Amino acid sequence: MRLAMLATIVRREALEIVRNRLLVASIVLPPVILVALPLVLGMFPGDTGKDPPPEYVAQILASRPDWASLTREHLIAAFLLQQFLAIFLMMPAYVPLSIATFSIVGEKQSRSLEAVLATPIRTAELLAGKSIAAVVPGVVTSWVAYGALIGLAGLLLGPELSGVLADGSWLAAVFLLGPAIGLVSCVAGIIVSSRVNDARVAQQIGGVVILPIVGIVMIQALGGYLLGPREYLIATVVVGAVGVAGIWLAARLFGRETILTRWR
Amino acid sequence: MNATGAASPVIRTENLGRRFGDLWAIRGVDLELRGGEVFGLLGPNGAGKTTTVRVLSALIAPSEGRAWVDGFDVREQPDEVRRRIGILTETPGLYERLTARQNLEFFARLHGLDATTRAERIERFLRLFDLWDRRDDPAGTFSKGMKQKLAITRALLHEPSVVFLDEPTAALDPEAAFVVREAIASLRGAGRTIVLCTHNLDEAERLCDRIGFVRGALLRVDSPERLRNGSSGPTVRIELGAPATEDQLAALRATPGVVEILADGGSPDVLSVGLADLRRDAPAAVRTLVGAGADLLGLREEARSLEAVYFEVMGSRPQLEGPVG
Repeated sequence: MRLAMLATIVRREALEIVRNRLLVASIVLPPVILVALPLVLGMFPGDTGKDPPPEYVAQILASRPDWASLTREHLIAAFLLQQFLAIFLMMPAYVPLSIATFSIVGEKQSRSLEAVLATPIRTAELLAGKSIAAVVPGVVTSWVAYGALIGLAGLLLGPELSGVLADGSWLAAVFLLGPAIGLVSCVAGIIVSSRVNDARVAQQIGGVVILPIVGIVMIQALGGYLLGPREYLIATVVVGAVGVAGIWLAARLFGRETILTRWR
Repeated sequence: MNATGAASPVIRTENLGRRFGDLWAIRGVDLELRGGEVFGLLGPNGAGKTTTVRVLSALIAPSEGRAWVDGFDVREQPDEVRRRIGILTETPGLYERLTARQNLEFFARLHGLDATTRAERIERFLRLFDLWDRRDDPAGTFSKGMKQKLAITRALLHEPSVVFLDEPTAALDPEAAFVVREAIASLRGAGRTIVLCTHNLDEAERLCDRIGFVRGALLRVDSPERLRNGSSGPTVRIELGAPATEDQLAALRATPGVVEILADGGSPDVLSVGLADLRRDAPAAVRTLVGAGADLLGLREEARSLEAVYFEVMGSRPQLEGPVG
């Protein structure tokens, strides 16, 4: 793997991304909402005149005994904030998917890959460069948004709630599970894009990678069960393994001959 | 000189073939191209031209046989082959959101050119093709002709020893087509080998040193002049008062010096006759026809068009089913 080749591919992909306004908007706008929304909900958690049902509180504290010292109001706010952790994982999921599908479907439509493949680049370098260009913006966006959320939460919500946002479950999810999801999402984008010729269709099909995240949201919101750092670490290992298997499949689809003779 | 240090053909193939599933796209190709040669590949759509170019560009592997480009084996040393070739694909295949300069910069980097060389060559080629003033405009805003010129520039940027051009003047206006043809002539002058895939017979005749007719195999390879003259040597066009009878044709065939009779005169009472020697055999052919009762209206030496040769080699001439309009 030659770094100069990788850098060349990543540089070109980046140039294309910044010139695609739709793509840039889909990368930049959601993080703003995902940072603002939990802050607003943390500041105004709803009608605090009523105490939540005791069995509900007990269920939350069973999942997160470290929250026992929080006031009832903060406990509700902490529970609401925790819901956003799973939603936060959407960022490293949909951004790489969007970039990978736009990139590969775009190359298929413009038939630009043949000229690239006729240069001394190796297909592994091309695949790696495209993957880096797709995964990094999603992961970095989620990290920057997370940093902004922590900083603003410290200012607006106080140390107890900002502490909730910086606990082990958030750190494991944002810094470990997030990149693993980004990898799977990118690989899904590559695999689906090799079969379809419309970026939007590819995104809709590739969007199935978001379903497990939606599942986490549902489990947490409906059951009152909150995933902890351990669960997120296990999820990282499982998702990472799926990602590695996906790379193997994507690499098979990314052979010179396959691209030139079977991609339509 | 090439990788082996010997003066050998720049492109050489031995029994080259490629199949997709059970279908052979091209088979049994034996070819040698020398440095500075412009070689035309002519054939109908689906004849195997693109497959041949892709195999020679080390984009796809041969299913049988071998090929070398600049001394490097396309199967064993594909990276070395790709370093030495430039290719203009059937469609320009540009990155339309990137500017002309960014498109070229990307490919120059892939070919490992340093910053100074990149800048110098990008300016030189953009000026040559009259694109310098549009260097910072996105390629998507270019006309078809400008895109084609930019794609040709991309193929030449790293100064390859072999250039594959697939329909280089398609979609170009006469001025741009002229520039491209001049560029091809200039590349030949610089010792580069050019493989030109085209449907344009006139262009092939004007540009190519040799032409290869392709249809699943390399059917015939020769210079345009020799192809026109045919294997039978000179051809005469004989105009008769009425369509020739079977007896007259049989007598003509039996005449010494008559090599072949082509039903290619354009009307039933015109014969195209291949002769071994024009001065010696034409009078004998005329005497035979007149002796067999034919009314002779005229005779002239015929230089066959490349189109006629093309249909002859391909084995069929398409027929219009009825009048148009």
